[in-house]
Amino acid sequence: MVTRTARAEIDTGAGEPGSDALVSNRRAAQQPGIARHIRLSVASLALVAIASWTSAYAQDGAVRRGWDGRPDLNGIWQAIGTAHWNLEDHPAGPGHPDLGAIGAVPPGQGVVVGGEIPYLEAALEQRKKNARNRMTADPEAKCFLPGVPRATYLPYPFQIIQGDKKIMLLYGFAEANRTIHMDKENPEPPPLDSWMGRSHGRWEGDTLVVDAEGFNGEAWFDRAGNFASSALRVEERYTPLGPNAIQYEAAITDPTVFSRAWRIRLPLYRRLEENARVLEFKCVEFAEDLMYGHLRRKPTR
Amino acid sequence: MTVARRYPLGLLAIVTVLPPAALSADYHHVQITAASPSEAVRWYERHMDCKPLADRNDTANCDDVELIFVAQPTMGSTQGTGVNHIAFSYADLDAKMGELEAVGVRGSGVRLQRFDGGATLRELPGLFKHGFVFDPWGTRIELVEDPDDQGFHHVHLSAADPDATLAWYRDAFGGEHAKLKEREAGLRFGDVWLLAARHPGGMPAPTQSRAIAHIAFSVPDLDGAAPRMRRNGVEFEARPATPENGRTKAKRAFARGPDNVTVAVVEPGFEGVEAVRAAARASDTTEPYSTPTTPWGEPDLQGVWTGNAAHGIPLERPTDLEDVEALTPEQAAARRERGTLGSIWGYEREWRDTTLGYDKMAPSTQVAMIVDPPSGRLPALTPEGRRMAEQARLERQGKAGRPPAGPEDLTPYVRCITRGIPGMMMPGIYNNGLQIVQGPGYVAIQKEMIHETRSIPTTPRERAGPKLTSWLGDPQGRWEGDTLVIESERFNGKGSYRGSTAAMKLTERFTRVGPAKLMYQFTVDDPNVWVEPWTAMFAFDLDDEQYELVEYACHEGNYGMFNILSGARAKDKQAAQAAR
Repeated sequence: MVTRTARAEIDTGAGEPGSDALVSNRRAAQQPGIARHIRLSVASLALVAIASWTSAYAQDGAVRRGWDGRPDLNGIWQAIGTAHWNLEDHPAGPGHPDLGAIGAVPPGQGVVVGGEIPYLEAALEQRKKNARNRMTADPEAKCFLPGVPRATYLPYPFQIIQGDKKIMLLYGFAEANRTIHMDKENPEPPPLDSWMGRSHGRWEGDTLVVDAEGFNGEAWFDRAGNFASSALRVEERYTPLGPNAIQYEAAITDPTVFSRAWRIRLPLYRRLEENARVLEFKCVEFAEDLMYGHLRRKPTR
Repeated sequence: MTVARRYPLGLLAIVTVLPPAALSADYHHVQITAASPSEAVRWYERHMDCKPLADRNDTANCDDVELIFVAQPTMGSTQGTGVNHIAFSYADLDAKMGELEAVGVRGSGVRLQRFDGGATLRELPGLFKHGFVFDPWGTRIELVEDPDDQGFHHVHLSAADPDATLAWYRDAFGGEHAKLKEREAGLRFGDVWLLAARHPGGMPAPTQSRAIAHIAFSVPDLDGAAPRMRRNGVEFEARPATPENGRTKAKRAFARGPDNVTVAVVEPGFEGVEAVRAAARASDTTEPYSTPTTPWGEPDLQGVWTGNAAHGIPLERPTDLEDVEALTPEQAAARRERGTLGSIWGYEREWRDTTLGYDKMAPSTQVAMIVDPPSGRLPALTPEGRRMAEQARLERQGKAGRPPAGPEDLTPYVRCITRGIPGMMMPGIYNNGLQIVQGPGYVAIQKEMIHETRSIPTTPRERAGPKLTSWLGDPQGRWEGDTLVIESERFNGKGSYRGSTAAMKLTERFTRVGPAKLMYQFTVDDPNVWVEPWTAMFAFDLDDEQYELVEYACHEGNYGMFNILSGARAKDKQAAQAAR
């Protein structure tokens, strides 16, 4: 009942500002000795409050807006498609023979604007080498942090928690996460190179623009071996296409690997399941045999 | 030139022909910066055979040279400064080094310096056998085997011009020009040698705030001696005076020696300075505090916090502290240091504290984390809890000393999976950062260690199904006043804390109790294990200005796993060969 109300309000954009309800809920929660069933109903009220509060600001009926009038990107999102297999156009292909058709690479249309990734010659060789060794060399196979932009289009949901000073992106896989600093006027140099880099964000109209740099050059872009070096810089653009979709663009610059800057573009979709959440996907255990199997007392590799 | 400007020409002639008689000072002390002076005294007593002093808990007597420790963060090792190291001499150096190697870095922080090829000792032709270790605060210590002189042996300077440096000390403080073993030019002050080697790359860095902050000589009647020292080229940075909070009336002066070395001159009877207790931080006050709210109206817990000050608080109240309300700051510093030395302490101290110059919060004086039961101790185990504890003990015993057969024989923490919960929230030896980011209806709680981020809904949602278990469980948050309450269940039981099982219900409470203090309280309710729930608490401190969580890419850089497992296979091979 409560969830239906909440959904209806989100869908229609109707509802009352819920701040009064929220305050009274908190006041009620402070009273000592509240019985569990009362707590539950108060809590249910809070859900209505949050939901109606959110929708109250959706003045244009399309883009959800937050307390500051900016697009409200809070929620669970997921890319659909085959970008995680290969950013470029690719036909169906074989996977690990033990997995039969389950492991096969599904065919897919590329997300690279203009079609092809403009590799420098030497880098193209590296990409081919990566592709040949992908079953063991892909950082994803080893449960390593996915890097940027790969984290965005992994085949799992991710959550955006949009605050007033920071925006946090939680990806689930390998416990990857990013903090987008919205409160730094001058981007600070990354203290260390890292898998996920350092991200500074700003708004350009309704588009969240994120500059990410400070990468360690270890991450790949997909399961086909597309890659970049530690010179990588990514400018991401998150533009809401309505309440339930975001146009995601990432401009990729790395003069040591590519002959020019290039872009990918793909939509992210809101997960509309009532109980959608980012589940804990601690994958280390599942990569240990691949990584350490040769060091077992009874070697498996 | 300087002399010519200062004195009439006639006097200059005398000065050049017959330098003013040098003083005959004694070598007195070495001042070392160490996080906990009392722990430093213990360390030098245990490892360098120095003697603690009954009435001065910050000083060790090493063969009548005093090591005086001051409680400050050490801003780097002695290496690179004008005082490269101090040296101790032992009759049987092999035995001594064997003892230190057995202690190791995790015992109480003996760091070995190995020569090329891995040996810790080597023969210096014509001199003696020697080797180097570091104390936990960055003091480089040379160990030598000099049968002529045992105990505190020498202070080794690192000088832009060693001859000029030794000449300066000779003119300033006397000492006897001599050659150690007929080879190495130095000055002798009684049985303490002052040696000087050429500093690689010009002028050494100042000693101030480094592991050895200064070296010190003593002369009787400092006021009377000062003019003579000045005439011999000593420039005082602080005139002779009884120091504030000095333990005796003995005077002290500071001079800038060559090579950026700070040199103290004290009168005999100088017994150091009583430490002044640091003023309480603003966040420690008990002023009523009202939690700020986010622009969308929820209590605002956002920021970067650290659990550094809480590191060292034991979960359970120690039996010898039953009636103690709180530790003294000195006791807290010593407890913290013991915890540090017994663990892998290197990089937080050297990288964050030293290189980045982070200002560490004073260690918490809290006696124990458990607040309920009021005894401060875990409740009694259930019969099932006792059975599981015994089984876990036997498993540990079985594994102890046996090489792991595979990754599964190592803990989830070693494998970089997780510390479990509440384990992941507990303060540790490093990477204690906690970042909280909020959006409407959600709180993200990120722990730096292993980089785990929890997404906590603060409005009710349906529980995950009973089959959907996980390491950190399914959290449900709510606001009770300004307190964030999180109830978690549906654990997979593999991230056990003190024996907790999959049946645990964990309730956590985050409350801002001051502008810079976040109280964290958690209740573990696991009827499988304990006869009643228990509750513990500690505080996180806001460190928004300087602290940034680094990406703790634990599994990605887990060379330890390769090393542990390949070491285990090497041991297997050895055992197989031995059995043949």
